Amino acid sequence: MPRLRPWLEERLPLSDLIQTLRRKTVPHHRYSLWYYFGGTTLFLFGIQVGTGALLLLYYRPSAAEAYESVQFIVTRVPFGWLVRSIHAWAANLMVASAFAHLFSVLFLHAYRRPRELTWVSGVILLLLTLAFGFTGYLLPWNEVSFFATRVGTDIAATVPLIGHGLVRFMRGGNDVTGATLTRLFGFHVAILPALATALVALHLLLVQRHGMSVPPSVERRAAENGQTIRAIPFLPHFLLRDLFAWTAVLALLAGLSTFYPWELGAKADPFAAAPAGIRPEWYFLWAFETLKHVPATIAGVSGELIAVGAMGLGALAALGLPFLARDTPRARRVVLWAGLGALGFMGAMTGLALAGGMP
Amino acid sequence: MICGRARTMAVLCVALVLVASHVHAQTAGDAARAEFRDDVHAAAGLTCPACHTDGGYAARPRTAIAPLCATCHSDAAFMRRFDPQVRVDQFLQYQTSTHGRRMASGETRVATCTDCHGAHGVRRVRDPRSPVAPLNVAATCGRCHADASRMRAFGREPAPPHDWSASVHAAALLKRGDTSAPTCVACHGSHGATPPGVTSVANVCAQCHLREAELFRASPKKDIFDAIGQAECLVCHGNHRIEAPGDAWVGVEAGAVCEQCHDGTGDSGTIIRRMRTQLDELSGAASAADAVLTRAEHAGMLVDDGRLALRDAREQQVQSRVLVHAFAAEPFSTAATRGLTSVRSARDAGEAALRELQVRRRGLAVATLLILAFLVTLGMKIRRLPPSA
Repeated sequence: MPRLRPWLEERLPLSDLIQTLRRKTVPHHRYSLWYYFGGTTLFLFGIQVGTGALLLLYYRPSAAEAYESVQFIVTRVPFGWLVRSIHAWAANLMVASAFAHLFSVLFLHAYRRPRELTWVSGVILLLLTLAFGFTGYLLPWNEVSFFATRVGTDIAATVPLIGHGLVRFMRGGNDVTGATLTRLFGFHVAILPALATALVALHLLLVQRHGMSVPPSVERRAAENGQTIRAIPFLPHFLLRDLFAWTAVLALLAGLSTFYPWELGAKADPFAAAPAGIRPEWYFLWAFETLKHVPATIAGVSGELIAVGAMGLGALAALGLPFLARDTPRARRVVLWAGLGALGFMGAMTGLALAGGMP
Repeated sequence: MICGRARTMAVLCVALVLVASHVHAQTAGDAARAEFRDDVHAAAGLTCPACHTDGGYAARPRTAIAPLCATCHSDAAFMRRFDPQVRVDQFLQYQTSTHGRRMASGETRVATCTDCHGAHGVRRVRDPRSPVAPLNVAATCGRCHADASRMRAFGREPAPPHDWSASVHAAALLKRGDTSAPTCVACHGSHGATPPGVTSVANVCAQCHLREAELFRASPKKDIFDAIGQAECLVCHGNHRIEAPGDAWVGVEAGAVCEQCHDGTGDSGTIIRRMRTQLDELSGAASAADAVLTRAEHAGMLVDDGRLALRDAREQQVQSRVLVHAFAAEPFSTAATRGLTSVRSARDAGEAALRELQVRRRGLAVATLLILAFLVTLGMKIRRLPPSA
């Protein structure tokens, strides 16, 4: 061990790296807690990669074998139940953490110049996280996931001109079949991870380059009081706090996986009627509920098309936010209220959907 | 003067009667025409004179109705034009039925074709609106056979339709919509309706309960029942009010079916008691295993192997109940033992899952303690860090 450090030092710039991290500082103020959601999302992404790789050792992506292979994993493979449950729970926590990160960045106005690209890469990463959830949902090939995927992919058909082509592309045919499973599996384990890894690297590089943003209200208060904003060294202060959050999330994951193991349900039967109460994962519920309440036609145009169009415009507006909103107190107030409105709408719709599904 | 007034009154009365009868005839005729529009015969292109051959529209004598229908329905060459596979033996069967024989002897209160099928609104049997469709036929028979005053004239009880309504067969047909469940005609026949005799009742039940009938015929009970003139299945199960059988039927104590003939002494008593013990043991063990598996499932464990074993046990339980009809210790005992073995496998799988759950929870408790210890250490380390810049 004493000889290992010099050996490594000779070959890797370890000391330089450690010195850089010690010199790097992170602002420390009343809203610092929200900084940790980015790290938590990254930690959960790492867990997804690890548990996903373990599941790949036994999972077989075909309509004939997918369900049985997952059943084998959770009943026969040592700790298979734990790995699958952690994968499923971590996916949900990752979506929740990514949303919390996005809205905290929005409300703290951290998207402002020069962090426009950090914001854009973050929004794309959130969309990729949702795509991970959508593509992974079908993989156990159970009844609920099969019909939810059928309903979910149907929504794409409302997009004018390319809608039907889009549905065929997602399904690998006219209906959800084994071809859809194989296709979504390919997206889930190859295309999306490759894109996500590249974007995470870019996102981290940009965060490293520009540092953590300080909210305008904190900057203003410090200026008014003639104080400088406190900062803590990244190593060890911030990293240890990050580690604390990760460990707490790990404990939560272990508890959820043990006391509420993710259900497998019944195997999908494409020829059976859709069971009652089919609905998507909780993070798509707001969109699902919105489509349920939209009238069939609005001024002669399909209501579903208008709703899907509005959601698409909302996503585009979120993506281009740093370029649309100027850095003025008035614009920041507009962004704050728009964000609160969007969050309130999504929360209300999710609540309605959950209340509607109760017996 | 008085004579003239009386004459006028008489003319008026006659006129009123004529008008009233004309109105009635018109109303009855309209109703018949309206009904006939939806009649299977109208759909086949037949018109009123096809049946009203004499040109009159007065009601035909009841004894003449079946022969009239038979002019077409017993003519294979004629009926083939409408349906190549249609049966043409209805009238022949009717003549052998209790209804037909009594009608031939001049008793016109018994059923004839139009009583069950209707006169002008006849529909195919498979049409759910037909009075003889599977779901309606019991009510149609019940119109007469549940009528106490009508049945009293023939010295019959009006109970069978009510009894059938309380049977497992009625529940299957009317509650579950299982149209394969037997109704009156399945056992008595339709056109040839007659009560099955003592010797043929087992054949009637065997149309569906084939395995039970085979076992019974091969059992020593068959010869005994034949010798004492007992109607096989009916002795234990009854006829119209056939209730769901239970394990408690097997036994020599009061309330059990076997107790009607067996007093519990001798080999038969021993075998009956052993059968009952095994049936109870299997039923109790299956319920207990089901409870263990359910507990494991509610705790989030997958116990498919256990469920498979329990399904096998349930099948063996059904087999054992069927094998009671062999009235012998074997092969009943083999099936019951096999069922108990499967139940044990199911229970073992459930208990193994619950043990595994405990191991998981203990593992989580240890892991949580370690994680908490790490968190506390981290927290202390963070507090001891030098103040920020």
